[in-house]
Amino acid sequence: MGELRAAIAIARKDIRNVSRYRFVVASQIFTPLYQGVLPALLFGASFAVAGHVVGLEKTIGTTDLTGFIFLGGVMSGLVATAFWAMAMSIRNEMEAGTLEPTWLTPTSREVIVLGRALGGLFWFAFSQVAIFAIGIAFFGLRFRPEIVYALPAVVLAIVAMIGIAYLLAAVVLLIKEANFFIDCTNFLFATASGAAFPVVLLPGVLQPIAYALPTTYAMDLIRQAGLGSRPLFDPALEYVALVLTTAIAFPIGLWAYRRADRRIRRLGTINQY
Amino acid sequence: MNATYLAGDLRALRAAGRMSLRQLRRYPTNLLGTIFWPVLLPAVWVLMGQAYSGGGEPAALDAFASRAGTTGVTLFVFVGYLMYMWLSALLWGPGTALRQEQIRGSLEAVFLTPVSRLVPLFGPTLTNFVWIAMDLVVMGLAAWLLFGVVLSVQGMLLAAAITLIGVPAMYAMGALFGAGVLRFGEIGPAVQFTRGGLSMLCGITFPIAMLPSWAQAAASAMPPTYIVDAMRGALLRSATVADLVPAAASLIGLAAAFAILAVVVFRWLEASARRSGMLGRY
Repeated sequence: MGELRAAIAIARKDIRNVSRYRFVVASQIFTPLYQGVLPALLFGASFAVAGHVVGLEKTIGTTDLTGFIFLGGVMSGLVATAFWAMAMSIRNEMEAGTLEPTWLTPTSREVIVLGRALGGLFWFAFSQVAIFAIGIAFFGLRFRPEIVYALPAVVLAIVAMIGIAYLLAAVVLLIKEANFFIDCTNFLFATASGAAFPVVLLPGVLQPIAYALPTTYAMDLIRQAGLGSRPLFDPALEYVALVLTTAIAFPIGLWAYRRADRRIRRLGTINQY
Repeated sequence: MNATYLAGDLRALRAAGRMSLRQLRRYPTNLLGTIFWPVLLPAVWVLMGQAYSGGGEPAALDAFASRAGTTGVTLFVFVGYLMYMWLSALLWGPGTALRQEQIRGSLEAVFLTPVSRLVPLFGPTLTNFVWIAMDLVVMGLAAWLLFGVVLSVQGMLLAAAITLIGVPAMYAMGALFGAGVLRFGEIGPAVQFTRGGLSMLCGITFPIAMLPSWAQAAASAMPPTYIVDAMRGALLRSATVADLVPAAASLIGLAAAFAILAVVVFRWLEASARRSGMLGRY
């Protein structure tokens, strides 16, 4: 019970921290729009013939460019939340000099990441609702009712990403100046998950990596349910792969995080940055 | 007296440049970014282009050419992203340098020194020139090695020339933006917003013809629009020196306008920050 209270307290603190900066709150909504969604929409539309993106239909079986891009944004947002809000925020505590006091509280270290996950997911949900509202109001965004069938895929992807966040937090604790690492891996992870384009277009050597990520299957299931796009594999098989990769990612992440915690306490490097 | 101050400022500028070089050396993994981003960012957009064009469907490529003036999607994207990298360096540079000093609690100390305010604004970002040059080389190589795009010598020379002509305008724009730290503190979202806005307006990832007419008019007041268009002209449409003269003239005019605006805004915001005590707050 105490751990749950601690997780909620961390989440509340993170939510309050972000809400103090009005630009940061606005950027949660507008950054994905003007950095990802809108340029991609306009770029995609520049290939349109008589208003139809015929090339996209050939690639994935639907001309719904808007839906393809907005749903890709959901996965990009979830990945970014895990990388930045859950894992990299530990670095912010390091720089502010508050990591040691946090580490000295009787709360388990796992809760520290979990609390951040709750806070991050709050802002993720907030931004996605706003982005979808904008999409529906201004860009003709529409989904098939079957999109609700993809909800389990979203939940599983969230669990998987918390596991990945533990792994990343371990890296942040060890290498400290992890900005570049997080930035790059965040980008690669989202790209390899098929957020921007179908993973079949990736060079052959990178495709096995894409198929090892839980988010690849979640992304495909969401698009298949919401847009009726051509799936990579049979959806039932994709659900099995999603469950399996999540079941692997979470314990590995937790194990790595505990090892990193033990190492920094043994070496006394927790206050270094 | 003025010459003495100027010499002192130049020494301080050199010291700030050395400080930034030393910090770069301390975190060598950051150097990987100069290879990673200039290659991966445009490569992803090239693959997006393949997805949207159905792997190069003639009808889709013709539609793109009618809006962009070329079917060379790969080079179109790479040139756009060269500007994006430059914008990133400029916008993150001066603003972030001030913000880092603010977070570390050293901004007030720096502002108490008798050096010009241009020193803390530009000193730590002198190394940007090195990265822009590296981006040019890395992206040229990536376009060639990954996508088989071979650039003409004349095109490369003209693109380099237009880059040099655009430097003052771009730095003036970066300075104008960096001053915002003194007013708003947390600069990250503002960088994202400005970079995103400029990327949208200036035709970095898609043809400007896709924008509504009011946005196209706004784009004509932004230096990156002229640089990107001139570079695409040189590399994709075999433009000559004469073809690029109007773009060069526009860039010189915009450099003067942005520089004057930056000086006025920085002075105003600094005075406001001193009055409100914003320098030490974050």
